[in-house]
Amino acid sequence: MMWLTWRQFRAQTIAAAAALAVAAIALAATGPHLTSLYATSGIPACHAHGDCGRLASDFVSQLKAGTAYALLFYIGIGLMFLAPAIIGVFWGAPLVTREIEAGTFRLAWGQSVTRTRWLAVKLCLIGLAAMAAAGLLSLMITWWASPIDRTIGIAGGSRATAFYRLDPLLFAARGITPVGYAAFAFALGVTAGVLIRRTLPAMAVTLAVFALVQIAMPSWIRPHLITPVRTAVALNTANINGLMIGNNNSMTVIGGVNEPGAWVLSNQTITQAGHVFTGPPTAACQSQTASFQACQASLGRLHLRQLLTYQPASRYWAFQWYETAIFLVLAVVLAGFCFWRIRRRRLS
Amino acid sequence: MMWLTWRQFRVQTIVTSAALAVLAVLLAVTGLHLAHLYDTSGIAACQARGDCPRVTASFINAFRGSIDEVLLLVGVVVLYGAPALIGAFWGAPLIAREIEAGTLRLAWSQSVTRTRWLAVKLGLIGLAAMAAAGLLSLMITWCSGPVFQAAQHVGPDTGLSVNRLDPVLFGAHGIAPIGYAAFAFALGVTAGVLLRRTLPAMAVTLAIFAAVQLAMPLWIRSHLISPVRATSTLNMANLDTLEIGSRGHMTVLAAVDKPAAWVMSNQTITPAGQVFTGPAPQACQGQASNPQACTNAVGGLHLRQLVTYQPASRYWAFQSYETAIFLGLALALAGFCFWWIRRRRLS
Repeated sequence: MMWLTWRQFRAQTIAAAAALAVAAIALAATGPHLTSLYATSGIPACHAHGDCGRLASDFVSQLKAGTAYALLFYIGIGLMFLAPAIIGVFWGAPLVTREIEAGTFRLAWGQSVTRTRWLAVKLCLIGLAAMAAAGLLSLMITWWASPIDRTIGIAGGSRATAFYRLDPLLFAARGITPVGYAAFAFALGVTAGVLIRRTLPAMAVTLAVFALVQIAMPSWIRPHLITPVRTAVALNTANINGLMIGNNNSMTVIGGVNEPGAWVLSNQTITQAGHVFTGPPTAACQSQTASFQACQASLGRLHLRQLLTYQPASRYWAFQWYETAIFLVLAVVLAGFCFWRIRRRRLS
Repeated sequence: MMWLTWRQFRVQTIVTSAALAVLAVLLAVTGLHLAHLYDTSGIAACQARGDCPRVTASFINAFRGSIDEVLLLVGVVVLYGAPALIGAFWGAPLIAREIEAGTLRLAWSQSVTRTRWLAVKLGLIGLAAMAAAGLLSLMITWCSGPVFQAAQHVGPDTGLSVNRLDPVLFGAHGIAPIGYAAFAFALGVTAGVLLRRTLPAMAVTLAIFAAVQLAMPLWIRSHLISPVRATSTLNMANLDTLEIGSRGHMTVLAAVDKPAAWVMSNQTITPAGQVFTGPAPQACQGQASNPQACTNAVGGLHLRQLVTYQPASRYWAFQSYETAIFLGLALALAGFCFWWIRRRRLS
């Protein structure tokens, strides 16, 4: 049974191993230099000197100037998002449908090996291979990108281009979550195949469902896995991120956020009475002649408060574990469904 | 023949139309909201009032991180994925499926010649692919219009600039996606014809298309029109980087003042024409030196800034070239398929 699985799965294994090897060579060739650039940039000791912001933005612009690092960074993110989807589509979906379409399931299920065992060996071996491949890739990319991740976390603060580890774009491409995604995508592909019984539609459905799950998770589910922190502090008018005056006397003020590395879910400016501040704008802000300082000072006199909802950076690993566990459980549930369904099926 | 093509291609058409309709609704909501935001932001009349940087910065800040940006990014990602999916799910199985199922023998022994059979299939489905990609691109281009318009008023040093020639955005706007879709479809068909099995053909299509999409902006696109090289005196008031390394090594870079241009390189050169790497002037070394003295000393070196860039005005020229290249590649691949399919025996 092991041998059969290996024999049918040989081409996929070799293709995946080759892709992993190419990625490993590219990352190993550039990683040490990146690490040494980081070490000599002075960022590791910057907290003592207090010049983190300047050093970090210098480091980032240095990386942007030499295209290879910025490019590899983004390719790494893209690859981490794509790998589980490709595993689900090309490993998961054809697993059962190929046998059904070619009619070979009659041969396979008419042997001395029971169907349950047949499916169990296939699911376990290939599922473990999927998790191992995703885990290895994530390990390599997380190691390679760690200098960049740390730097852009520092460069963040008030900059609009800030990246942080809890950012939905980085979160799913680092750490242990890709292992969960790969297991889920593979089980999803097998389930779609068992239900639809035709390879191409099963592949398309797997891709669509997995993409939806990847969008739904950071948008609606992940923020609520742990209750977010809510704080209300006096609005610091010296650190205003956005200020918009619309027609019909409306005004929007967005304060800067000073929570390093936090995942900010909402940032509202409220009045003393507790309502969201929507105007009317102060005279100094509307006037064409008054300076921006005068506008800031007039806003300060309104005693606005900033209501922040966020997930602090310290919860990173808790989120990683929760997310991985959720996807592993989903994968096990889908696998269980496949067993139940395949036992009931007639040999027709 | 038309009817056969439609009958075999029905499911794909319906699925794609449904996906396009969903995206169209989402993008319409986003686009209307962005247009409203732009109208109320006062950017249109900012030149008369002279407060362009402030109103633009608040418009872009309101856009950054909003649901509009997320939806627009989703649209861009979908538009990059669409040609790949078209190639893998429409192109690769087109002939490989017939070969695997053995229906090729039936199809080719009818009164319709093989050439005509392939021509109708390639023509109809290829046009559908181009239409789907073109529609999606049109929606995204309309939707992100206000952001690009606002970005024209942003200074280069604010970190807020958005640029239509940017490699990531270029391929998801204008007419280039039509060329990508045609190419990906023809690539898929060719892979199917050569490999004769659906799954490997799909995987190969995806891999080659991804490689082409990477190679194009990195190595090819910037050379389609020879870039402009401009030298000017280094503007010390607009310095981007000033780094002093060990052994007097020094890097000075000024910000590039070319609005919305695609900057390929930005170097600081000495009057003799070499890239300036130091030595750092005396005033810049040592802990006690003050920044003003250092800036003055660097200014005294008469450095020049050498910028290699593609100006923003070439946007449509680049779009046309890129589309033409990919359409040409698609035609070449289709021609290869015709040649191959005529030679093949009915075995």
